[in-house]
Amino acid sequence: MQAFAVMLLPTALIPCWYSMISRVERQVNLNSQDFHSKLHYEIENTEKFLHPINSSATNLAGVLKLSLNGTKLSFSMIETKVAPLLFQAWSTIPYLSQISYTGLEGLFFSYYTGQNQTLAVYSNSSYNSRSSAPNVKKNLSCYIQHVNHETGELYGNSIECPSLNLVSKRWFQEALNSPNGYASLETGWNNSQDLILLSSARINGEGVISLGFSAQLLTTRFTSIDRQGGSLYLATKDGKVLIEELKNTHMVLAGNMVSVQLMKPNGEKKVLGNVSCIIKDGSPRASTLNIQGTEYMFYCSSLDIVGVQSVYVLAFPQKGLVSLVRKNWIVALALLIVIITSMVVSILSFAYIFVRAAKREMHLCAALIKQMEATQQAERKSMNKSLAFASASHDVRASLAGLTGLIEMCYEEANPGSELETNLRQMDTCAKDLLGLLNSILDTSKIEAGKMQLEEEEFDLAQLLEDVVDLYHPVGIKKGVDVVLDPYDGSAIKFSQVKGDRGKLKQILCNLLSNAVKFTCEGHVTVRTWVRKPSLQNSIIASSHNGLMKYLQCLFHKSNEAYNDLEAMNAAQQDPNAMEFVFEVDDTGNGIPKEKHISVFENYVQVKETALGQGGTGLGLGIVQSLVRLMHGDISIVDKEIGEKGTCFRFNVILSTCDNVSCNNTKAEDLEMVDGSHIPELTLSTPSPGLWLRTSSSKLTVHSTPSPKVTTSHVVLLIQNNERRRTSQRFMENLSIKVSVAKQWEHLPSTLQKIKHKENHSCHNSLGKSDLSSPSGYLSSSASNNSSGVEKDVPLSSMDGSNYMLSVFKRTTPKFASSFILIVIDACAGPFLELCRIVAEFKKGLHNATCKVVWLEKPTMRNINFKHIEEDLVDPNDVVISKPFHGSRLYQVVRLLPEFGGTLQGNSSKLKEEIKFQAEKVPKDPSSSRSKPRSPPSNGILTKEQEIQEIGNSNDEKPLSGKKLLVADDNVLLRKLTVAGLLKLGAIAETCVNGQEALDLVCKGLSDQRKLGASNILPYDYVLMDCEMPMMNGYEATKQIRKMEKSYGVHIPIIALTAHTSGGEAKVAIEAGMDVHLGKPLKKEHLLEAIRYIDTK
Amino acid sequence: MEVGQMQRRLIEYTKSLFMEGILDDQFLQLQQLQDESNPDFVVEVVSLFFQDAEKLLNDITRALDQQSVDFTKVDAHVHQLKGSSASVGAQRVKNGCIAFRNFCEEQNVDGSLRCLQQIKQEYYHVKNKLEALFRLEQQIVAAGGSVPMMELSF
Repeated sequence: MQAFAVMLLPTALIPCWYSMISRVERQVNLNSQDFHSKLHYEIENTEKFLHPINSSATNLAGVLKLSLNGTKLSFSMIETKVAPLLFQAWSTIPYLSQISYTGLEGLFFSYYTGQNQTLAVYSNSSYNSRSSAPNVKKNLSCYIQHVNHETGELYGNSIECPSLNLVSKRWFQEALNSPNGYASLETGWNNSQDLILLSSARINGEGVISLGFSAQLLTTRFTSIDRQGGSLYLATKDGKVLIEELKNTHMVLAGNMVSVQLMKPNGEKKVLGNVSCIIKDGSPRASTLNIQGTEYMFYCSSLDIVGVQSVYVLAFPQKGLVSLVRKNWIVALALLIVIITSMVVSILSFAYIFVRAAKREMHLCAALIKQMEATQQAERKSMNKSLAFASASHDVRASLAGLTGLIEMCYEEANPGSELETNLRQMDTCAKDLLGLLNSILDTSKIEAGKMQLEEEEFDLAQLLEDVVDLYHPVGIKKGVDVVLDPYDGSAIKFSQVKGDRGKLKQILCNLLSNAVKFTCEGHVTVRTWVRKPSLQNSIIASSHNGLMKYLQCLFHKSNEAYNDLEAMNAAQQDPNAMEFVFEVDDTGNGIPKEKHISVFENYVQVKETALGQGGTGLGLGIVQSLVRLMHGDISIVDKEIGEKGTCFRFNVILSTCDNVSCNNTKAEDLEMVDGSHIPELTLSTPSPGLWLRTSSSKLTVHSTPSPKVTTSHVVLLIQNNERRRTSQRFMENLSIKVSVAKQWEHLPSTLQKIKHKENHSCHNSLGKSDLSSPSGYLSSSASNNSSGVEKDVPLSSMDGSNYMLSVFKRTTPKFASSFILIVIDACAGPFLELCRIVAEFKKGLHNATCKVVWLEKPTMRNINFKHIEEDLVDPNDVVISKPFHGSRLYQVVRLLPEFGGTLQGNSSKLKEEIKFQAEKVPKDPSSSRSKPRSPPSNGILTKEQEIQEIGNSNDEKPLSGKKLLVADDNVLLRKLTVAGLLKLGAIAETCVNGQEALDLVCKGLSDQRKLGASNILPYDYVLMDCEMPMMNGYEATKQIRKMEKSYGVHIPIIALTAHTSGGEAKVAIEAGMDVHLGKPLKKEHLLEAIRYIDTK
Repeated sequence: MEVGQMQRRLIEYTKSLFMEGILDDQFLQLQQLQDESNPDFVVEVVSLFFQDAEKLLNDITRALDQQSVDFTKVDAHVHQLKGSSASVGAQRVKNGCIAFRNFCEEQNVDGSLRCLQQIKQEYYHVKNKLEALFRLEQQIVAAGGSVPMMELSF
């Protein structure tokens, strides 16, 4: 359409343009014609201007006739009368080149211009014209004389010249006969023979006056007219040419026609055409002739010059203005056509391209729509599949749970050792495997659906690590792989109390560890953890792969999802307690090829070569990665050095540390340490002890300490596994403990010998001299000083490994003068009896030192049977640890050392018990063996009881005996149930049916207590509060109680009970001020756990 | 009937109740709470549940009969019923209540009525079963035997 519109424009414009051009052409034509006629007019004007000259001869003749009065003229008369008159006329009449008087008798007088001078020619002799024959006239003589051009007088010598014989000339006769004078073109009488126009008139029939005008002068009048390229041709009627400007042409007059002839160089003439000189309608007719390839316009007209009838021809070259215009017009037209055609072409091509593009776009659009539909369909399908999948797997899980339950039931009934039992056990394993697989698939679908959320809770990270490692230790041992927990720099112990998702972290660690154990056939698997301040970069990387881009996008788009993400990230960032925990699971297994390092984290990807025959879905690492990212971290495979076997997974998560808790813990520990040990001897009086001690010589230390010599402990390690030995050694060395290592049991005697020698030697020395050779003792004193208060102010960044350690393990200076030697022996390292013998021998040889032996035995093979060994070989104070030697066992062993609060033989049996307890029971409660000084006084009994219960692991069913609880529930059934449960646990329960009553009861109880003067004793140890009750609901009641108890300065623990199990209700409950939230129906274990949680808080 | 036989029958019967999913381990907890000081605890609690449930079911039926159903009220009742049934371990009634609450959220009258019907059915079912169980126990006690304790674990 547009194309047509564009084409319409030139079709409208072209006629317009054409008419304009033709108008211009017409105008130009008119103009040129105008010009031509103007030229004619000008020529005619010039002619008219010359016209007065025609009559001058006749007039002069008239004047002479009057002055002569008919008298016969003699030469003297001519000289006196005619000559002055002639001179006057000569002087006055313009263009005159000669003037003469000629008498019939031959008398002649004339002035003329010759050689730029005025000359006079005269003939003073006469003859009788009537008698004399023409031949006589020749005799008449003629003279030339100079003339004074002012007076007309003749002067100088007269020169004789041949006679002019004018009388016989035709013009003389004609003039003599015509009354009105005669004009003709003649040659002048000067020497140059110029053409002159001669106008003559008779006087009384006796003489003729003739005035000669220079033809050249007159014609210049015509040629001086501006003819604009036109050429002029002028000729008298009798064929004498005056002007001929056109080159190589010749014009011949023939009547009223002028024939134009071409003069060829060889002299030939060629007639080109005729030009008519008949004038029609007042203007001459134009005729066109071609002369040598050029078109000329010819105009012919007659003319009267000084009475001489003549004809002039004007020739204009055709290529004048008009032809120029015409030529330009053609060029312009051509240009226009070119433009239009190019325009049309371009429009067409444009339209073509446009159409093609539109077509393509339409195709693309259609394809896109199709694709989108397909995608949507696929998404719908996938969604449906996921949903179906989730529900199906849920059902499968339910039936699997039933299966396992049934198998267990059958298992109980089956005869032990029978085939049925083994089959059942296998079935159980299969079912559990299936459950595990199903759980991983469920996790994946949960993550895919984005439904995975973090459940934050406080927990002990070190404990978690230990649990996980211990869990996989037996599995590893079975395969001959040692699973080691590397304490590393101790930072993880320092920041052990953290808040985060315990379950998911455990899942991650379990997954990685199980992988590591699964793919390792020999060597060891090491787990290490350390803490660092989260850096922005890490966090960004954690949020996504192209974190920076996402960050920018977030800045610009602020799209909700991304923004929330960012918010969460920022929140994690801004939390001052947030710390970055880095975990490494390092194995010596097959390893993963480098090119697979990234793809192993994708779902359903397994490294084929290694995974062959190992089973698994390939979902584990994908889940792990998702979980790690959920915790604002990232997981990667660390490149191992060439030659090293295995894989090292490293991941980091952001967890917030519970500072106050850890502080309190350390405080508690402090207290404990001070209690357990004796008052530190090293009370320095130097102004700045820490500094001084580090810089000054050790002598100063000695002088400033009045106490007896400080001895140091020595640890001997005989551990089979390299990695475990290395980590334990490093850990102890970081604590400035002297460590000697025996790699094989054969080396043990020599190592022990060395130590013995040294011990005994230093013992002798120490009597007189200070102990220069014990740097650790020197260090320990400084450290113990530092730990009192300076330690906590040290900024994190400046903390090095040993500082972490020292902040956990408070050094105290023991009172004992004798040194302490701790021998840690792997019972499997060699023949047990031999080992016992070596140790016993060593002990015998010691004079001044105490020795303690820690036996490490493998949990799977109980090869230490003390009963079979003679009493003298084994000290009853020896400690046996049957669990892997790391984590809490390692710390306990370190605490055996006197510097770290250990005591000697006297208390060692108790220590043994403790360690045994630690070893036997995978500890669930980190604070079980340590006392809880912070728990409120009223809980004192309970705590003890709990402890007893836990340590004894007895089945005492009344852990709550002596407790008074208030149960608030509107439902009589539930109330009854709860009360029954509580009674079963040994507690005293009071009931009420709504929140108001509960509030009143608490209020009354509090005021009663105050009256008794024991306001710090709580009226109820715990309140079990239903949330939804008539009158006043549980939330409101809790709020009121919290408000009220403030004035008494107490805190009554309130446990919320709801039938809702969703997280939202729990949140509301906690916000209302309740301590714990439990789901209905009340379970004994849950309640106990909740009470334990409250007590530890 | 011989006491031993009756005891075996009781165990079989109880097991079947668990297998059919009529009861869950909460009922076992109840049984564990019963001791010498409180010999009829289970029967008391269960009869309390029967009273409570019948009252609630009537309330729900009435509430649903209304021209414009007050679903918040119905929901509260169902919630209570759910709590009660959960505390005696009447699993199927409890599950019915969970489904019912979903309909309450959607304000679906038809679905609610259907659900109510189902719950009622389940309730009478469990009531019959439990009453039969108690009768059997009484018979055992009357015959001079002791009620065997179940040890089931999932």
